Amino acid sequence: MKWAYPVAAVIALVLPAFLAPGQLTVFILLGLSAMAVVGLSLLMGYAGQVSLGQAAFTALGAYTSGLLSLHHTPPLLALAAAPVAAALAAVLVGVPVLRLRGHQLAFATLALQILLLSVLGGAEWAGGAVGLQGLPYLSVGGFELDQDLDYAYLVVAGVLLVSLIAHRLVRSRVGRGLRALATGEMAAEASGVPVGAYRLLVFAVSAAFAGLAGGIYSFFLGYLAPGSFPVLLSIEYVVMAVVGGLGSIAGALLGAALITVGVQLLTTLATQPGMPSYAPSVLSYAVYALLLIAVVLFVPKGIVPTLRRSS
Amino acid sequence: MGELAQYLVTGVGLGCAYALTGSGLVVIYRVTRVVNFAQGSFAVLAALCVTTVLAAGLPHGVAEGLGVLLAAVVGLLVGLVATGKPGTTPQAALIVTLGLGVFAYAVEILFWGDQPRSFPGLGGAIGGVQIHYLLIIAVTAVVLGAVALLFARTDLGRALTATAADPYAARAVGIDVVRMGLFAFAVGGALGGLAGVLITPVQQVSFDSDVALVVNGFSAAILGNLTRPGLTLAGGLLLGVVSALVGGYLSTAYQSDVALVFMLVVLIARAGRRDVVEAA
Repeated sequence: MKWAYPVAAVIALVLPAFLAPGQLTVFILLGLSAMAVVGLSLLMGYAGQVSLGQAAFTALGAYTSGLLSLHHTPPLLALAAAPVAAALAAVLVGVPVLRLRGHQLAFATLALQILLLSVLGGAEWAGGAVGLQGLPYLSVGGFELDQDLDYAYLVVAGVLLVSLIAHRLVRSRVGRGLRALATGEMAAEASGVPVGAYRLLVFAVSAAFAGLAGGIYSFFLGYLAPGSFPVLLSIEYVVMAVVGGLGSIAGALLGAALITVGVQLLTTLATQPGMPSYAPSVLSYAVYALLLIAVVLFVPKGIVPTLRRSS
Repeated sequence: MGELAQYLVTGVGLGCAYALTGSGLVVIYRVTRVVNFAQGSFAVLAALCVTTVLAAGLPHGVAEGLGVLLAAVVGLLVGLVATGKPGTTPQAALIVTLGLGVFAYAVEILFWGDQPRSFPGLGGAIGGVQIHYLLIIAVTAVVLGAVALLFARTDLGRALTATAADPYAARAVGIDVVRMGLFAFAVGGALGGLAGVLITPVQQVSFDSDVALVVNGFSAAILGNLTRPGLTLAGGLLLGVVSALVGGYLSTAYQSDVALVFMLVVLIARAGRRDVVEAA
């Protein structure tokens, strides 16, 4: 499996140059999902918790970047603020919420996301239900990123950064502590692992990843609305993380890629002439659902960890 | 009738729907330890089914009955998929029910499209209150009473309660624990379906209404820690009345936030003494 990383990196660097404009958009959205899913996979795999609100942090990052750049903050600074704001928000809500477990945390994170969407939808300073429009492109030292290809490479850089940080975190003392925590909280606590602090740390890091994805998203698309970050987006993230394999960075990347490309292929198929108008949504919902169920029941560790074990 | 009284009646009506959805969650959770995320889908499926059956010319009552029956069958199927495979943990089953909820989207859009739908309920109004709300309240009272009797007075109910209390001991005295779990899922499905059938005439339903429904039901049930039917009813009524008052006197924009905030407050307040309450 060692060869997989360089091969994936080369593909990610070469592929964008050969993609048609529509495909490039899919590539960029895939990368953005991957960033959020790497974070979620860490949280679910290492802290052993289900979060149904990961897209809330994507939304927070996107709105942070969007609002700052609309108020004439230098774009690069606005982008950097996205993960910071998401992480701060995670720490703030994490202190009370991370004391919950299992289904309680799942519902609490879901509730937080719906509340955030409701607040954004009612807030005039955030554009209400219409959202923010006319966001500027990202520019670095006079060079404006106004091509899809620029954003494709920005996203590749983002995925790489996020994966490296996750890798370092997993291999560190904190990572070992988290693994102990996931297998047995009581035992970990008894061996001196600062359970609460580590769990909060991984929650904040995973939020920062999603926030960075949201920041790039706001510059790439140029408009934002509460409807861009529905509950279903959080569920999509969960599907990607579970299918690839929780706690595995490669799994998160593979899960995001597999599902994005798969759903895109089906959508292309479903928009052929003669297909009914509801075909794309029916097919994509069915694929998310069936993949999630099949993997949870029959490949509970997810694709990448299962392949690793058998090879 | 005064404004306040109107809000109170509509609030109790809405609260009954929350309580029915929540009771479905409670029945399933008590017996199987699974929190059924697809609980809202039962309501949506039943309501959409009723729109079709009514359009086909069947009378009210029969149509609603068929909707609830469909929801019970779907509940049974959800139970089979989520708990049928031996060794499925409750956490895994939660994610499976999440997947089944999304699968329901595909089915619903395939048959009914993605636009909101509704059907007429009991017409007329007394003093500004739609009579349909009174019907919701009456049906909920009868059904929840019947469920309480089922659990307290019948052998089946005692077997269910025994399974809830201690699955191992229940198996030792000859109760088929798996079958009890499936039965609980069917009852939970019927309760969810009933909530959808009752609420749809006063509140349109579309394929993605399920999230709001399950969140409201969970909020109602969380007061009783997902195990106490009485507190679930109280929680549902409280939430219904408070959100009707908020919608009436403050703004309808905040109406749906009431249940969410309530849920978070109860969860977090209870987490403070988690060590005593919950071992898992």
